[in-house]
Amino acid sequence: MIGGEIKVEKINKSFGNFQVLKDINLQIKKGEFFSLLGPSGCGKTTLLRIIAGFEYPSDGILYLDGKDILGVPSNKRHVNTVFQNYALFPHLTVFENVAFPLRLKKYKESEIKKKVEEYLDLVRLNSHKKKYPSQLSGGQKQRVSIARALINEPSVLLLDEPLSALDAKLRQQLLIELDTIHDKVGITFVYVTHDQQEALSVSDRIAVMKDGVILQIGTPYEIYESPVNMFVADFIGESNLTTGKVVSVNEDKIVKINTEEHGELYTYLDKPVQVGDTLKVTIRPEKIRIATKKPENIPPNTNVLVGYVDELIYTGSETSYFVKIAQKNVFRVFKQHIVYFMDENPIKWKDEVYIWWYANDGFTVEVTK
Amino acid sequence: MKIFKKKNYGQIYTAPLMFWITVFFVIPILIIFVFSFLKKSYTGGVLPQFSLDAYGALANPQFVKVVLKTLFISIVASIFTVLLAIPTSYYIARSKYKDILLFLIIIPFWTNFLIRIYAWIAILGNNGFVNNFLINIGLIEEHVQLLYNQWAVIIVIVYAYLPFAILPLYSTIEKFDFSLLEAARDLGATKFQSIMKVMIPNIKPGITTAVLFTFIPAFGNYAIPEIVGGKDSVMVGNIIANQLRVVRNWPLSASISVVLTVLTTIGVLLFVQLNKSKTDEIRKIKEDV
Repeated sequence: MIGGEIKVEKINKSFGNFQVLKDINLQIKKGEFFSLLGPSGCGKTTLLRIIAGFEYPSDGILYLDGKDILGVPSNKRHVNTVFQNYALFPHLTVFENVAFPLRLKKYKESEIKKKVEEYLDLVRLNSHKKKYPSQLSGGQKQRVSIARALINEPSVLLLDEPLSALDAKLRQQLLIELDTIHDKVGITFVYVTHDQQEALSVSDRIAVMKDGVILQIGTPYEIYESPVNMFVADFIGESNLTTGKVVSVNEDKIVKINTEEHGELYTYLDKPVQVGDTLKVTIRPEKIRIATKKPENIPPNTNVLVGYVDELIYTGSETSYFVKIAQKNVFRVFKQHIVYFMDENPIKWKDEVYIWWYANDGFTVEVTK
Repeated sequence: MKIFKKKNYGQIYTAPLMFWITVFFVIPILIIFVFSFLKKSYTGGVLPQFSLDAYGALANPQFVKVVLKTLFISIVASIFTVLLAIPTSYYIARSKYKDILLFLIIIPFWTNFLIRIYAWIAILGNNGFVNNFLINIGLIEEHVQLLYNQWAVIIVIVYAYLPFAILPLYSTIEKFDFSLLEAARDLGATKFQSIMKVMIPNIKPGITTAVLFTFIPAFGNYAIPEIVGGKDSVMVGNIIANQLRVVRNWPLSASISVVLTVLTTIGVLLFVQLNKSKTDEIRKIKEDV
């Protein structure tokens, strides 16, 4: 199968007076695993429904492989959808659900049998083909729905929060399976989700949306490491935010800023900046180190702060510490338990701790003159 | 204290209901059943003598003709009613104004059934609304006889029982997951195919109920053919009334009633069974795939 290329040009959509999508421009490459990520109400599902043909935009153009497909009804588009609620036909067996598109196309019985079994094998459900949807678990239902959507050999598969109704463990499992299926069939996947973890783990590229606008398009790495603004930084993963005025800039692009809460801090900035500008800097919690003893032999331009553990959350593989600095600002710090039991001085609640990070690990999201 | 055992509670609670049904429902039917096997009295009642005369009279080809006509009218009317009720209930179930629309469906029940049938004379009569309208727009010159034939009877039956078909259909369509239609469209079905292949199979219980709710009252109907029907639309109900009130042959009208009841019961059981076995059969075929 060959994946399709989608181009969204200046698409707007309003429901009554409420504008759901504002001037959306987007290009999804052939065979890409592309995610639309955003909180509920950001318009991601509406955009997906426009691509599927269930909604019509107020204006704009939608291309599939260079052809304008807005006038093409959903049953004629080479695009299929995996629905959040599975949308399996309750009166048909698993086999008949998957065979549904082929029966519409009047395939021969022998061809139907062969093809349906091929796709049921792909989602590892061949042993359940005689069952009715009501007899399946949530994960199985969603796999039927994936097989049914793929059997038409679409050039684009749209997935509308397909895993949100499943429990965490199963979600993880199906996500890996989806990734494998994507690699096998090679078509374009457009994946809508509000779960940043899901989007980061499987996508080639992600579009982060908010209030009907695309804020940033990029690889998971770009989105996570260099968010374009506070919202993206906060929405994707966890962030610590600090604001300060530029005091000086050195030749290695290390900027010294003066913050109200923590005094002078160093951060890296690859943009021209002048003394007196205000910077908003985020530091990811996993990039901050934490210890009860004052760190020694630290390189230059390292920020060191002292505080106490206000709250700690043990999650098995790691612990997150909420460290209160100077009775005001709280920094969130992740520490992986590589040597938890061997750690002679585990950090306890209310302990005084040092936290430090390198200037390069701070990322400036906003500069105001 | 055995009576207070748990399993006996139900019987105690339902005793008044059982009493009510026995006295007002079962006993009249028994009376009809018994009367149908008695001899008719010349004064209009029955004589307490066993006789099969009443059933013998049913072999009359004239009567068989009326039964067939009644079947024809009821079947055609049921088909039209359900065909109209499906899109109507679909529209109501998807509308923002469900409550208001359902309310409008129920409003006609506030007016007496007979009055509503008479109102159709004002609509279909020679000087009625339809004729005047057609003359006014110049489509016809002379009035057309629309009343007093079987089609008038069918139209009024459709009108009278449409709400009874809409309500059960509405309740199943309302529970239907409309995103399934989107899924069907997405998979390549046209709008029509998605309705026929996905919605109809899933609202089948509603359709069955709607057919029964129309067919049963239509089959035993008396008032509608009496008021808007003609010579070609005499139904079994009219014969029963005629035998009872004019000819005063009580055993005969009782025997017709018994036959009507038995026929309807058999018909309903067959219909329900047929629907059931059909879905079971589909299920079986699919299990063999």
